[in-house]
Amino acid sequence: MAIVKDKVGIVSCSGEDLPEGTISRIATRIVLEKLRPDETVTICLPLFLAGSEDERAFARVFPTIAVDGCDKRCAEVGVKKYSGEPVATIVVSEIVKKYPRLKVKSRDNLSDEEKELANIIAETISKKVDEVLGRKSREV
Amino acid sequence: MSEEQKVAIVACAGMDKPLGSVARACAFKVVEVLKPEDSVLVCIPPLVAGVKPHSEWIKEYPIITIDGCPERCATKIVAKMGGKIRGRVFIPQSVQRHELRPKFSADIGLDGEKLAEKIADETALLIDKILRK
Repeated sequence: MAIVKDKVGIVSCSGEDLPEGTISRIATRIVLEKLRPDETVTICLPLFLAGSEDERAFARVFPTIAVDGCDKRCAEVGVKKYSGEPVATIVVSEIVKKYPRLKVKSRDNLSDEEKELANIIAETISKKVDEVLGRKSREV
Repeated sequence: MSEEQKVAIVACAGMDKPLGSVARACAFKVVEVLKPEDSVLVCIPPLVAGVKPHSEWIKEYPIITIDGCPERCATKIVAKMGGKIRGRVFIPQSVQRHELRPKFSADIGLDGEKLAEKIADETALLIDKILRK
């Protein structure tokens, strides 16, 4: 099946197990709502996993980025299983390690430090979106 | 308390609708604040991927599902995986009952928080009922 390259699907870890999951979720919303609203759509991971053919078909036809909170990589595993290889996987816990001054603690309400990390992850996702669509990265 | 006397909470964590975020906030209030000794939170993606302990909890414990929209993904997934559902919470009904509407998916706002608290209280009562407390 041909891959259509004008939108990118983002499948985010729904993040109830670890704080990094919450960061991946918020970062994804920042991309969808503020940074790349015209270029991205979200694929609801629970709906995707529950068997929604619409969500799975979208991920088969459009390039999809998996945003995972930890190295269990549940979003990536789900996309691979039901729709094929994602074009990229961003693992939040790996990026967080590069910023030891920013502490990750809460699974529920994000602190200012966690919000800063969410913005950093959102920028990373946006750059990957630009790369996938073959566009020059904009300032974010 | 023995390990058998717990309830597993499986909540929609859908991020494309504010009610998914309310379901998620409600689940955290139950397992972290109201019933930390009596409940565990099952995360849907690792559950489907077969990652322990999530895949074991739904075999071991009675389950309450919290669904954020009519797709009812939490309930569908648990049913598909053979879990024993003993209680169901449907957030759209709770919105009507309490007349509180969340703002956005990323920030449910004050009314969304109040709604999550009310539903969490109801869920905690449901846990007591299941565990016959």
